Amino acid sequence: MKRVSVDIGGTFTDCFVSWGECYVQAKALTTHHNLAAGFNEALELATSELGITKFDLLSQVDSVRYSTTLGTNALIERKGPRIGLLVTDGFGSSVPLSRGRGHGDGLPYERQHDVPRAVRPEPIVPIPLIRNVRERVSYNGEVLLRLDEDDLRGKLRDLVDQGAETLVVQLANSVVNPAHELRVREIFLEEYPGYYLGAVPMLLSHQVAGRKGEYTRAMSTIIDGFLHNAMYHGLGGLELSLRENGYAKPMLINHNSGGMAQLNSTDALQTVHSGPVAGIAASEHLARETGLGNVIATDMGGTSFDIGIVTADGEKHYDFNPVIDRWLVSIPMVHLVTLGAGGGSIASYDPLLKRVKIGPESAGSDPGPACYNRGGRQPTVTDADLALGYLDPNNYAKGRIKLNARRAERALLEALGGALGADVIAISKVVKETVDHNMANGIATELRSRGYIPDEFTMLAYGGNGPLHCCGIASALGIGRVLAPPFSSVFSALGAGNVNQLHIHEKSTYTVLFHTALKKVLTDYTQLNATIDELKQRGRDDLTRQGMPPEAIKYRLEFDMRYGNQRAETAVAYDIERFASVHDALGLIEAFHRRYGERFGEGSQATEAGVRINTVRVSSYIDIDKVHFGAIMPLAGRLPAKPVGTRPCHFVGGAGAVGTALYDDSALVPGTSIDGPAVITTFATTYLVEPGWNFHASNHGAAWFTRKA
Amino acid sequence: MNVESKLDTGGATLSAQEQQLLNEFLAENQLFYGPDPEIMRNHSLSARSPGEERALTMGLDPNRMNLVRGRIGSALEEAFTMVEQTGVAPGAKWGDLVSAVFTASGDMSQIGPHGIAVFASVCHYPVRFVRKYWLNDPSVGVRDGDAFIHNDSRFGNIHNTDQSMIMPLYHEGEIVCWMAATIHEGECGAIEPGGMPSIAESKFDEGLKMCPFKCAENFQLKRDLVNFLQNSVRDPKLQLFDMKVKLHAVIRLRERLLAVIEEFGKEYLIATLRQTLEDTEAEVRRRIGEMPDGTVRINTFIDNDLREHILGKWPLEVTVEGERMIFDFRGACPELRNRSINANLASLKTCLMSNLAIYVWPDLPPNQAVFSPVEVLTNRNSLVDPSDEAPVAMSLIPLFRALGAPAQVMAKFLYCLPKRYTAINAPHYNQPATFVYGGLTQHLEVTGNFCADINGNGAGGREDNDGEHAMSPVFGAFADTGEFELAEEELPFVRLVAQQLTKDRIGFGKHRGGLGYEQIVTVKGSNMFGFMTGQCGAKHPSAYGLFGGYGCPAYPLAKIKDVNIFEVMDSNPELVKFSMIDLMNEQAIPGARYVMQDAGMNFELAGEGEVYMICQGAGGGYGDVLERLPEDVMRDVEEALLSPRLAREIYFVTFDEQTLVVDAPATTAARAAERAARKARGIPFDAFCAAWVKPEPDPALPYLGAWGPNDGPVIANPPGGVRVVMAPDAVDGVMLSNPKDRRIAELEAEVAALKAKLAAA
Repeated sequence: MKRVSVDIGGTFTDCFVSWGECYVQAKALTTHHNLAAGFNEALELATSELGITKFDLLSQVDSVRYSTTLGTNALIERKGPRIGLLVTDGFGSSVPLSRGRGHGDGLPYERQHDVPRAVRPEPIVPIPLIRNVRERVSYNGEVLLRLDEDDLRGKLRDLVDQGAETLVVQLANSVVNPAHELRVREIFLEEYPGYYLGAVPMLLSHQVAGRKGEYTRAMSTIIDGFLHNAMYHGLGGLELSLRENGYAKPMLINHNSGGMAQLNSTDALQTVHSGPVAGIAASEHLARETGLGNVIATDMGGTSFDIGIVTADGEKHYDFNPVIDRWLVSIPMVHLVTLGAGGGSIASYDPLLKRVKIGPESAGSDPGPACYNRGGRQPTVTDADLALGYLDPNNYAKGRIKLNARRAERALLEALGGALGADVIAISKVVKETVDHNMANGIATELRSRGYIPDEFTMLAYGGNGPLHCCGIASALGIGRVLAPPFSSVFSALGAGNVNQLHIHEKSTYTVLFHTALKKVLTDYTQLNATIDELKQRGRDDLTRQGMPPEAIKYRLEFDMRYGNQRAETAVAYDIERFASVHDALGLIEAFHRRYGERFGEGSQATEAGVRINTVRVSSYIDIDKVHFGAIMPLAGRLPAKPVGTRPCHFVGGAGAVGTALYDDSALVPGTSIDGPAVITTFATTYLVEPGWNFHASNHGAAWFTRKA
Repeated sequence: MNVESKLDTGGATLSAQEQQLLNEFLAENQLFYGPDPEIMRNHSLSARSPGEERALTMGLDPNRMNLVRGRIGSALEEAFTMVEQTGVAPGAKWGDLVSAVFTASGDMSQIGPHGIAVFASVCHYPVRFVRKYWLNDPSVGVRDGDAFIHNDSRFGNIHNTDQSMIMPLYHEGEIVCWMAATIHEGECGAIEPGGMPSIAESKFDEGLKMCPFKCAENFQLKRDLVNFLQNSVRDPKLQLFDMKVKLHAVIRLRERLLAVIEEFGKEYLIATLRQTLEDTEAEVRRRIGEMPDGTVRINTFIDNDLREHILGKWPLEVTVEGERMIFDFRGACPELRNRSINANLASLKTCLMSNLAIYVWPDLPPNQAVFSPVEVLTNRNSLVDPSDEAPVAMSLIPLFRALGAPAQVMAKFLYCLPKRYTAINAPHYNQPATFVYGGLTQHLEVTGNFCADINGNGAGGREDNDGEHAMSPVFGAFADTGEFELAEEELPFVRLVAQQLTKDRIGFGKHRGGLGYEQIVTVKGSNMFGFMTGQCGAKHPSAYGLFGGYGCPAYPLAKIKDVNIFEVMDSNPELVKFSMIDLMNEQAIPGARYVMQDAGMNFELAGEGEVYMICQGAGGGYGDVLERLPEDVMRDVEEALLSPRLAREIYFVTFDEQTLVVDAPATTAARAAERAARKARGIPFDAFCAAWVKPEPDPALPYLGAWGPNDGPVIANPPGGVRVVMAPDAVDGVMLSNPKDRRIAELEAEVAALKAKLAAA
């Protein structure tokens, strides 16, 4: 297999190349003004390692795949067109009011809780660019008020006159009956045909999000429209550059759904967070290929700690209403939790509870931790790591950043010394233990609220600070096995190369499987099957349009189910083509019962309160060849390694300094086994093997940490 | 009158031994375990128990205690998520819930990162009740795996529509702590559907009155008891399901806390729960101590008891003396014995705590100790400290004031301090502005509950910014107004207006309050469905201004009866407007009956297509309107939140209406002229008092409360009743006549007069 996959991040463009049995990783700085420049630089690094030309590479690979933070950055920087919004009359303030919770979405708890200082984010659609449309459709699709077309034409003119560059239409219950939304577009095209210069694109909400919820559907459509240009121009430029360098196939874009598609079949909204999601996809692929079982994927960087879940039961863990930047949207996105904890997280003293608090403030990379010598004065996790002896001051970040230990110690003592009445080592231990436990608690909450037990998981630790803190986090969680995955410094790029071509379509429904008052189980499946067929057809159309053979398409059917009128959050995968008999209905009720009990406790189910399907979801996908890792599981042999030196290090729970063996890249030779305490400083990252843990290198740069009994 | 356990000794003086003997006799021969004043009147932290004393003096590492706190927080968040995801009540789905951990003595120590603190804070009362009465009762007892349910606010709750599940955590045969999960459930079998009956005239109209009792043993609900409760409410599905949800949440919490004990040891858990409370209390005392000594007061008025107009006084006087802070409610409206808007003292205190935790010191951990140092004074048998016999189903009317007013008073203490714990803010809007509903759904299910848009009150203007529009309820920091497409799917109504900001209905100020939104609803798909509302503020504003800012407007309720709006939509769509103002001003639909009334509406069945309209209100304004930046005024005009007329008349801004360009010199001149005019209109305080202060209220005014000093006599002048004046230490409840009886009497008098006139002719 020959393939190129790329993750364009805010700082680095990571590249992973599969060239037959040879795998190459490369990194270059992201060039925001022209993404192709950074990409080409990374590609040239890879081709020089392979000894081929860029043209040779691009003309022979089966695909080039991207995951990108383009959309995320455009959203944060508010770079997008002026959007006009048309909504059903009476719903004009739904978007500005953001369900009364928009002041806190995307913020840490402390800020959510501070009501007197709450501020909603700067709106993407300001109030003067919202117009109400006189029409109304009921919950079941009945037209209650016909669309007032004359009124509509006036409102369209208003918005165009006010300089709207993109129009979004969000009419109530359009996912059940889209007739009015479609008619709005017809009228718009009558008034402003697409062939006019400066034609304004119009997005219809039911075509972006298939589920009910007027606010989240509106925000999904608005963000999609807002990001479209940035994505189209940014990725379009990349595609052009590829063509000039010999690539003749369609460029593929990673989605936050965990799948991918061609650029022309990608909504901008689907690209947001696709980089971190690709990391989870890589974790999933690793888990499947190596039989790891349950995996908790963790990416600890400078400012944040991302968590993803991969379980051996095959369940797909999605957020159906994720928060993107500061907005709640309606898309199926791979479940990704971000905690405000990283190397740059600031440690402070909370005199009220007499504790050390980590974050949520971060020193980021500028000024960065105090030890960076860039003006930062507040102590961070990295400063504590340095004080404890884990980091090599002269060989941090590939030697690019010289660490100043004295500044770290002074910052720690000034901020925390007086309150704790302790020396810098004791303070640093508290910082290390606190941040490890905070992250462990975050993971525990995620796993347990889904019915999983942490110690049944293997932890995957990647990102700049992952291998440094993984033993501490795992110990706090009761996890005994950690894998620093292969190619961990380009792990998301690796993930981008291993996802299926996939499209997820979903639709709201009100299907009562078991009506408790009428004591009736659903027996007429016409409507339900029609919905399934419709969603399959949409997925099939998406894939065949991209040249995929229909016979290769697979489908995965999923239902969001409820007992009674509870909140719809329990997604149940059901291996069935269509509903044919009451056995199928009862089988789904049984599957729901089983999954619900696993998640919320046996006995918590309440079938007697009635069972309902709220959403039907069909994933249509093509299985593709993936990168094979083969032998990354722990190797049978254990090779000794020779330390390159020793350094006094301090460990939580231990007294005094421990002369700790230091290792370099040679420790990554497959089979190398090192008992903790040890510090391994490699070109890409620092591995901390805490006392009581063993480090065991495997193939492709993978490394296992195992807690000794 | 509060009934306390006290034996009448005929005036004989008893020795301590005799008193002890009599107390034991009383305890053994108690007819009924009602609300216990010893529990219900005490909001202090318990004294350290021997176990707590031991744990706190054994030199535990504070850093490890912090790790334990993190573990508890994670467990509480997990339990919260479980309830939110699986709960059936709208309150559960949209954030009106909480999970909490209490010390073994019953003090509320920690809630999850999310959740409504006020629900948990009030739950320490039933925990103490269980400890005191059931723990050692051989017929009940408390064992591992038991759970207790509770909703009656006389035993500690905000109102009876909230239900709590309480479970002890046992370790090696000893109760280490208590855990609880609470949801605003809605329906509770009261005289009106939805759980908050406005027409309740006695506590026996309020539906379920669950004093704390055991509903689960060995981690399983007792189905006979569940069945009894289901039989007592309109929505048996809701009752069953959410009992399961809460039980499994506390079971999950129990597992996690046992794991904490296993990892850190029992003492660490005990010490952490107690230390958190003691540290919080010490910090609150310190913060009180840094405030200047003095007294600040506010008098607010309730304009409606949900049956008739009244003018009921709700005063608050806060005095700071060193580290003491006293909240004084004396002079409040007397208890209304047959009206639903009384609020128990324990509920009041908890709401005061919530206000401090959200609007004054949001950085504090929201636990019971936030309020434990505060002293509270009331008149017994008043609206905020009624007898146990008083109906309290719509206690929200006085309680929502407690959720808003303290911050306004505290602002005057805090303004001069160099350190800010949050921004000084004018009051959040403080009415439960939503539709309570009940009846048969389009899916043939019986239901009764309320809409989630109660969670969108306008925020008050701030010292540095305008208030945010409709955000979070006054009682919580981060709740959700929900999605109306989802609500319509389950319920037989159509939101003609889901959320539309209310133009010109503003708490004006230098920094204006955030606006509320209109809510217009009609019924479709059921001929047995109706609405009620439980709010006041239609004649007298609810959220006041701060430092010269205006209060919010008054918000009436409007409806269009004898109409099927869907037929009008089909036949004459041009007559249908999606605006309360347009509909009521134009009154354009032939044959329809347009009604405007106060904001509290007793439950009524709605015909298909009949229209009901209310408003979610605005927060109070902050500062002088003449200091508002003209560009901010223009932004409000551009966003259609403010009419050009009010921009000129309130803010004195001169501008071009077409371009919204401000004429700066003209604006400066207009504002200077208005300042001069203000001075001209002003009169000295003594002259004002001489002209305005009356010795007693006008006889026609249905006034209830102290007139003049709040520690003076209390006047009760109920509508259609006889005025009484009560000494402050002898305030008694007031019975009000039935408005319908009064109307009948009026009509009978008219008939008699007409008959007399006829006879004379």
